[in-house]
Order: sequence, then C-alpha cells, then structure tokens
Amino acid sequence: MATGAVATKSVGMEGSSAKVGYGPIDWMGGWKTCIFGTLALMVLAAVHWYYDSLYAWTVGIDAANPQFTKIFMGQFWVEVIAIGAGTGLWWGWLVRTGRRIVAKPITADEEVRRIAVFWGLISMTSMTLYVMASFWPNQDGAWHQTAIRDTAFTPPHIAMFYFWFPLGITMTIGTYLYGRYRLPKVYGAEKGFPWSFFFLIAASVTEMMQVAFNEWAHSLWITEEIFAAPFHWPFVTYGWLASGIFALWAETILRIMGIEKEVEDSATAAPAA
Amino acid sequence: MVMQARTAEQAAQLNVALNKKYKYFDYKWDLVFWLTAWPVVAAAADVTKLLFAGDWDFWTDWKDRQWWMTISPFAMIIIPSALQYIQWLAWKFPTGFTYTAVGMWAASWLGRWLQWDIFTGYPLNFVWPATIIPAAILADWILLKSRSFVLTSLLGSMAFTAAFWVANYVTLAPFLQPVEFMGSIVTLSDVQGIEYLRSATPEYLRIVEHGSLRTFLGETTLVAFVFGTTLAVFGYWVGQGIGRLLAIWPIGKFIKVI
Repeated sequence: MATGAVATKSVGMEGSSAKVGYGPIDWMGGWKTCIFGTLALMVLAAVHWYYDSLYAWTVGIDAANPQFTKIFMGQFWVEVIAIGAGTGLWWGWLVRTGRRIVAKPITADEEVRRIAVFWGLISMTSMTLYVMASFWPNQDGAWHQTAIRDTAFTPPHIAMFYFWFPLGITMTIGTYLYGRYRLPKVYGAEKGFPWSFFFLIAASVTEMMQVAFNEWAHSLWITEEIFAAPFHWPFVTYGWLASGIFALWAETILRIMGIEKEVEDSATAAPAA
Repeated sequence: MVMQARTAEQAAQLNVALNKKYKYFDYKWDLVFWLTAWPVVAAAADVTKLLFAGDWDFWTDWKDRQWWMTISPFAMIIIPSALQYIQWLAWKFPTGFTYTAVGMWAASWLGRWLQWDIFTGYPLNFVWPATIIPAAILADWILLKSRSFVLTSLLGSMAFTAAFWVANYVTLAPFLQPVEFMGSIVTLSDVQGIEYLRSATPEYLRIVEHGSLRTFLGETTLVAFVFGTTLAVFGYWVGQGIGRLLAIWPIGKFIKVI
C-alpha cells in the first residue's frame, strides 16, 4: 500500500489542455460531479418516495400480508443488495485506482479540479444527510402517529433505515477515500486520520447503530405516542457530529490558497530563470 | 460585508487584495458552499426540532401555552447558534441564524407537504410548522450590534423566544377561536385534534396543562416564556459548542496513526 510517497509539488499549467467551458473550475468541468451527482440523489429520493406512496397505505400496513413480502420486503432486498454492491464497487475503485495515482505529481489545474470534485462529493453527502435526517423522518413521524407499527420493517423504515442511512456511510467514507488518494497534500496517509472525517463518518455510522437501539427500545416501551421520546434523542446528538463537514470545506479552501500562492510564485520566478 | 479602512496603509492593503487577480478563486466556490451546505444545515436543524420538540410542532392542538413555548425555542435555537458562530468566524457575516432558519423553513414545509399532507393525508392547516425566520433575523441583528456571543446568548435568546411566540401567534390565533362542538365550548384546534385521531392524542391529554400552571391566573404563557428563555440561553451555548468543537476545531487536525 502506497502510504508514504505523495505528490509533493503542484505545477502551474501554462496553457491548459481543457476545452473552453470544461476547465477545473467550469460548471461542466470540475463542478460536474456537484451538479449532476446532487441532482441524481434528488431524483432518486423523489422516485423512492413516489414508489412508497403507491403502496404504503394499501399493502404496507400489514406485514403479514403476502403482498407486503413481495412489494416491501422485495424493495428491502433490492436496496440492501444495491447499496452493498454499489458501495463495494465504488470504494474498491477509489482504492485500486487511488493507489496507482497517489504518488504521481499533478498539475495545479488537476489538483484544483479534484478539489472541485471533492466539493461535489461533499454536496452529495450533504443532500444524503438531508434525505436521511429530515425528509424520511417526517414520513416516519406521520406514519407512526397514524398506523403505529407491527414490525421494524415499516414502509418508511425500509426506505430510510435500510437505504438512505447506509448511503450516508457510503458517501462519507467514499468522500474520505477520494481525499485520501486524490488529494494527498490535504489528506495524505502520512498526516494521520483527519478529525473532520472522524466526526463526519462517526455521525453516519452511529446513526446506523442507533437504528438497532431504536427498534429495541420501541419493542420494549412501545412508545408511539411521543416522537420526541428520550430514546430518539441519540439520533440528534449523533447527527451533530456531522458538523465535521464544515472542516472539509475549510481544509480544502486553504489548500486552494496554497495553490494560488504556488502558481503566483512560479510565475514570478519564471522570467528570472 | 464591506470592510472600512481606518488608515492609509490599511486602505492600500485592501486595495491590493480587492484588485488581486486569482487563477482559481471565483464566485463559484462561494456559491457552491452556500448552496450545498444548506441541505445538511436544514436537516440538522429540522431533526433537532423533530426529535426534541417535534410533537409540539406537528399539530395545531399541541401548540399550547405551556410545553410548546417552553421547549420549542430550546430545540430550534441550537443549530442556528452553531451556524452563527461559523459564519461570523469565517466571513464576519451576522447571518447564521437566518441562513439556518430559511433552510429549516424549506425542509419543514417540504416534509409537511409531501409526507404529512400528500402521503398521509393530514391537511396542512393542521400540521403547519412553526417559523423562526423573524426570530432568527432578530438574533443575527443582536450579534451585529453587540459583536458579542455572550450578549447575543442572553439578549438574543430572549429576543428569539419572544419573537418566536409573536410570529407564530399570528398563524395560530385563528385556530384558538372558540366554537361549540358536541355541546362543549372548545377551540378550532381542539376540533381538528378530535377529528384526526392520532396515537399521541391520549398521551397529550395526560400531559398537557396539568399541575398548578393551569391556575396561574392566566399567566401560564408568561411563565412558560420566561422559562423557555432560560432554556434557549442553554440551547444557544449547546449550539456554540457544536460550532466550535465539531465544525471549527477539527480544521487541519489529524489523529496520528501509530
């Protein structure tokens, strides 16, 4: 595993080879991941919600119904397999390709483009956290106030706990792996493990673990009456750990300031050379 | 925000910074940050409200003069306070409360509209969320004028709680009008609560307005407001802790791998 050797010098690119409009800080260049990745998540959430809306109140209120097994447990298995396979493939690709490129010197243009892509991944993480922590909990609250629960696999739970919660882990760790191998000057292995990512990843992992406690607590105390029940509070406090996301923006913007300085210095030094 | 130079030297430095040509810095970094931070900020604010005081925000008949006034400002001031610290530190922008409030407004309404109204079938005039936008503007204004987090925590939290009540009372007042229903005088919100039975109804009837506050000569709201204010001061510092320790402190810090 290439951990020690990293690109140590950014080189300002004098005539960028990128086409006009596709450069490192153009919308269709470095920012493409941010725009299309975030939009894709919004569309996915909308489709997911629409599918739930079609069947939740006809099939989804009785877990003993054979149709429930087909429509909702079928959805559960599709979600689990898709998120498991997708996560494995994406993380595997990030690590496999990352090991090859982490030590190669890159131009300033390329490093800035990667930071823009990194910000795109942060944007996708931000959107995922919204969908898992606000959009679906609203449906879950409405559901339990109305239909109570007969199993841990209610329609809102199947969407929220077994797809969007794990997707939070996929996005936070995937974003770290991107930074770890593609932005070694910021997140290179020799620096250690960043506290910013520690908090952000901890938020998504502890939220997933809290699901187990939540269902256990509901099965013990059967509290459907109060959404603000004390055993729901860990969802909130664990969620606060996601504040580490702000440090990611700060750490990378500081690196861009460094790149600007390097480019400026190389331009100043060039005539004298 | 415009910085004003106090000396000729400062003016020269600002002039250089203003006219400096950057290769990579442009408006897009700011735009992307302010837009893409919104979902996670809105989610944090919304889920903090939902799970700390959500029941009192879900229904008109729960928007009462005792518990709603007491715990809602506490639950809804935490994340705005964290953002106020972050945005003041980074840009000297007194905008963190308002930024969070607008995000939470969007997240709350999207949730109530799609999940509570369209998905579940509750009418929006029964499940509308409370707003903190006017209260947030006031709290940001107090930071702008005082330039002190301590003063903002005291005066801002008080103003926040008061403005929360005033701003939402405008929306709530029509639902507090008396009507005769099945031989009894009740409020319109009571009728909504009776017509839309929820799992929370029996529990609410057990916990609302019991104890001596009910007989406090009509001063229940005032007592709840004052206690709500003290809780809001506490919530403000919880938010400051989140902003300082979890968002800003980790910048550039690493756990050393052995």
